[in-house]
Amino acid sequence: MLFNSIDFAIFLPIVFILYWFVTTKNLKLQNFLIVVSSYVFYGWWDWRFLSLIVFSTLVDYLVGIMLSKEENETKRKAYLWTSIIVNLGFLGFFKYYNFFLDNFITAFSFFGTKIQPNSLNIILPVGISFYTFQTMSYSIDVYKRKLEPTKDFIAFSAFVSFFPQLVAGPIERATNLLPQFYKKRNFDYSKAVDGLRQILWGLFKKVVIADTCAESANAIFNNSDDYSGSTLVLGALYFTFQIYGDFSGYSDIAIGTSRLFGFDLKKNFAFPYFSRDIAEFWRRWHISLSTWFRDYLYIPLGGSRGGNWIQIRNIFIIFIVSGFWHGANWTFVVWGGLNALFFLPLLVFNKNRQHLEIVAKGSNLPTIKEFFQILITFGLTVFAWIFFRAENIGHAFRVISEIFSSSLFSMPGFKNYIIIFLVFISIIIEWVGREQEYALEKLGLSWNRILRWFFYYVLAMLIILFVGQKQQFIYFQF
Amino acid sequence: MRKFFKNSLLFILLVILLAYPLDLIISHSLKKSNYASGEYNTWNDIYNGKINSEIVIYGSSRALRHIDPNLLKNKLGFSAYNLGIDGHNFWMEYLRHITLLKYNKKPKYIIMSIDIWSLQKRTKLYNAEQFLPYMLLNKDIINYTSSYNGFISLDYYLPLIRYVGNKKAVVQSIENSIFFPKTKSKRKKGYQGFDFVWNNDLSNAKQKMKHYEGKLDIDLIKLFDKFLLECKEKDIKVILVYTPEYFEGQKFVKNRKEVITLFENFSEKHKIPFLDYSNNEICTKKEYFYNASHLNKTGAELFTNMLINDLKERDIIISPN
Repeated sequence: MLFNSIDFAIFLPIVFILYWFVTTKNLKLQNFLIVVSSYVFYGWWDWRFLSLIVFSTLVDYLVGIMLSKEENETKRKAYLWTSIIVNLGFLGFFKYYNFFLDNFITAFSFFGTKIQPNSLNIILPVGISFYTFQTMSYSIDVYKRKLEPTKDFIAFSAFVSFFPQLVAGPIERATNLLPQFYKKRNFDYSKAVDGLRQILWGLFKKVVIADTCAESANAIFNNSDDYSGSTLVLGALYFTFQIYGDFSGYSDIAIGTSRLFGFDLKKNFAFPYFSRDIAEFWRRWHISLSTWFRDYLYIPLGGSRGGNWIQIRNIFIIFIVSGFWHGANWTFVVWGGLNALFFLPLLVFNKNRQHLEIVAKGSNLPTIKEFFQILITFGLTVFAWIFFRAENIGHAFRVISEIFSSSLFSMPGFKNYIIIFLVFISIIIEWVGREQEYALEKLGLSWNRILRWFFYYVLAMLIILFVGQKQQFIYFQF
Repeated sequence: MRKFFKNSLLFILLVILLAYPLDLIISHSLKKSNYASGEYNTWNDIYNGKINSEIVIYGSSRALRHIDPNLLKNKLGFSAYNLGIDGHNFWMEYLRHITLLKYNKKPKYIIMSIDIWSLQKRTKLYNAEQFLPYMLLNKDIINYTSSYNGFISLDYYLPLIRYVGNKKAVVQSIENSIFFPKTKSKRKKGYQGFDFVWNNDLSNAKQKMKHYEGKLDIDLIKLFDKFLLECKEKDIKVILVYTPEYFEGQKFVKNRKEVITLFENFSEKHKIPFLDYSNNEICTKKEYFYNASHLNKTGAELFTNMLINDLKERDIIISPN
């Protein structure tokens, strides 16, 4: 089920009413309702793949219990590896099987051996990269004794399948989300209204900004050989706002929906395009994934301990793996590597933690220096997105070589005035709200009711009028 | 919880209450744009009573692109307007006709461009966007478009519904109100000639099928007959004109003769002139066409002059000059 669909618009109020009016007195029943609703939400897309979620839930639930009972380190490790192998096994098969097969065939044919390809027509289960990472983190945390394993199977199932964040995150940690299923939730008016505001802003970013940018970005990238450098730059910019609107929009809807049910999810985006360097960008983009890799890959590899070379190696590993997590294509690997390269100078000169606060905190405008830092970081990000969007490496290079040709100075096509205008407005709103949890959190709260409601009305109407295409969220495919 | 529901319902109510004014705003701005292949210009002139011409031209794109009303006016001395509607047949031409009579002075002459497609009905409502700004609670549009595969019932009766998800139209409307408030029409008195050269439409069609055979629609034949009777009653003179078609395209149509005979019968029955240019020399000259059914701008000018001469010579339209 898509957040931007009529199905979800019907589903959400039904679950909301059942949750607060029918099951509210019984915590177990309320959690059970979340599990059932989440399975309906997921099964709406393809019920067959529910079995994967159920199996993954069972494995990690049992692994958690076994880990709590077992003191023998070897056996504990074996239990942990069971969870990792099952979860990564799912990922490896459904997401990477054909990729590895194709590359083996290419590699062998390079040495003169011809192999008959036997690729499978595998459907990638929606959100598999998200819920497998979430359940794996539970087992790792229990293994490291950071978390007491749960004995409440319903609560654990609800934690794994919680529908607002099931298919595209934020990737929650058991330490944050699981305890929320143990406590009675009380309806909180301001929390629920805040949730609705965040949903509104998320839908605006997804439906109005991302989906409209997607039309132009797709038209340009799908026929990139026909366009000038300047148009391709515009295409890369459209994609830059598409992917941000799409994914941060999804996160806002997920967090807002959770708040309607009394849950607090982790912040996943913190205005990344206002970053002053790449390190800051990565502290603000897809935070739940970056911190997952930091905690479960970077730190176990040694993190920032050890010499420069170890640190550089670790940075490249984490970025390349992160790139590969996004998809079974070399373009994602290059995208990750490119970000590692951008990160490298900051690491070498020990400047990777100099911008921890949001830019221009407490003032209206950035300094000129900050403005140019933002511009340069944004430019590097846009450049890297070309690889992310391209069909293959060759395609990305063709786009880049055209961009750096004389055609860069021609008049670009695809000047979609309305989307440029809407992107501009949303940048201003995001800038104004950059010190908040999300852009709309406090915006308008001090205005009089008529003005505030008119503002919400305009956003709501733009969403309703633009919603027709039912574009899938980009991150569903990851 | 009560406050939450109260405010949520209040907001939903606001959305419902403001739907109609918002619909008006979107429609008003959309009407001024060149969206929907520029058909808004013609519809606006009809609804705003700006046609008021002595000669009107009816038909499909073959009317729209073949007969220049400005030449008619200059050479015949009667005001003229081209109401050709792209991609449609007589069903929609009749909608334009009844709307014209409702909002404008009745014409003296109707030049009715007919062809093999005139009395065939298509299933899909082609260029449905052209009806968007006018269709809310519009009985005539409901009657003449609802049998097509185009809109759902709610689109006709509830404000804004037809714009939900119709992003292109909404974007066009917003763009038009913010960035291009004075869009120039591409049509002159409804006419739009194209400076195109011959394209591959005919060879593409030949690759897809051996022959084309149009299925005449019995309801349309009846409607056409009714229209001719109504015109007679209202003292409007109808002139049937079969505008030029490239000769190779003519061979491609299997039941061409059957259609022409049908129009000849109408001409005889109602005692109205029928000018058939499908055998004219112009039909052998590719340079005047951009595809088998459509003249280019040069061809259209040549043909319009030819038509004017014939109308004059045969005393079909007697010039006041």
